[in-house]
Amino acid sequence: MIWSKATGTLLFYLFAVVSVALAIATVSSRRILRAAVYLMGVLAVTAGFYLLLGAPFLAGVQILVYVGGIVVLIVYVVMLTRSSDLAEDKPSAARKSTALLAALASFVLAVTVFKSSESAFRGAGSQAATMLIDDTAMIGRALLDRGPRGYVLPFELVSLLLLAVVIGGITLARKIQVDQSAAPKESSDGGVANA
Amino acid sequence: MLEVLASNPPGVFHWLVLSSLLFSIGVYGMLSRRNAIGVLMGVELALNSGALNFVLFNRLLAPATVDGEVMSIFIVTVAAAEAVVGMAIFVLLFKQMKTVDMTQASQMRH
Repeated sequence: MIWSKATGTLLFYLFAVVSVALAIATVSSRRILRAAVYLMGVLAVTAGFYLLLGAPFLAGVQILVYVGGIVVLIVYVVMLTRSSDLAEDKPSAARKSTALLAALASFVLAVTVFKSSESAFRGAGSQAATMLIDDTAMIGRALLDRGPRGYVLPFELVSLLLLAVVIGGITLARKIQVDQSAAPKESSDGGVANA
Repeated sequence: MLEVLASNPPGVFHWLVLSSLLFSIGVYGMLSRRNAIGVLMGVELALNSGALNFVLFNRLLAPATVDGEVMSIFIVTVAAAEAVVGMAIFVLLFKQMKTVDMTQASQMRH
């Protein structure tokens, strides 16, 4: 018991340091492909946080969707748009300082709010992290539950969103043939000769 | 050493500071990057920290339910959807302008 608790604490601080370092590398790396790899690291470590919090199903989803899906997509698009050799991402000093100011402001604001409301959570979760429930079955029941505490309507709406995204993605990124097929029709009356 | 570690588990404040730190780094990435894909990476970082917060509060305030986890799954889904559409737009932008530099794509500003 004492071993598992100590390991949990140790892992939390280890993961925290690693994820923050990788996140900083993600936003400050000059090369966009390296930034994608660092982002993959951040997302994988977040899966570790989910495991620490006792949500193994979510950790699996995180790895499957983020690491296996979104990061691969990002790498593909980096290569398709030749970002790696086009833009050595060098933001100007003004841009950098503005962004730093905004980020610091959001961080300070958040920490101030946590400090002032900390007493509300006191004692709320000292036993929480050690508690492991069978979350896969519970999530499955919650997603398909048609009762007042169920999520079947948002679940269906999200699947509709995914359908719209699939169609939208294909429509946006397919080869634009309208210009090539429309141009000769308009430009020449001798389309019959071509045909 | 072992006792110190075991008796000082990370409290709610530690978790919240961690996720707001990740969020702030994401905000920095969103605002400072010139490459559109870099901006999207910042957005992903911010969304990720939001999902982490949902799971955290789920475990801290209502450990017997999974409402926060369900919210996190929805966040992951919507983030994936947003990434797909964003990437399609970037590919289209690259076809039209031969660049994905955000500072160059300013035709609709005026």
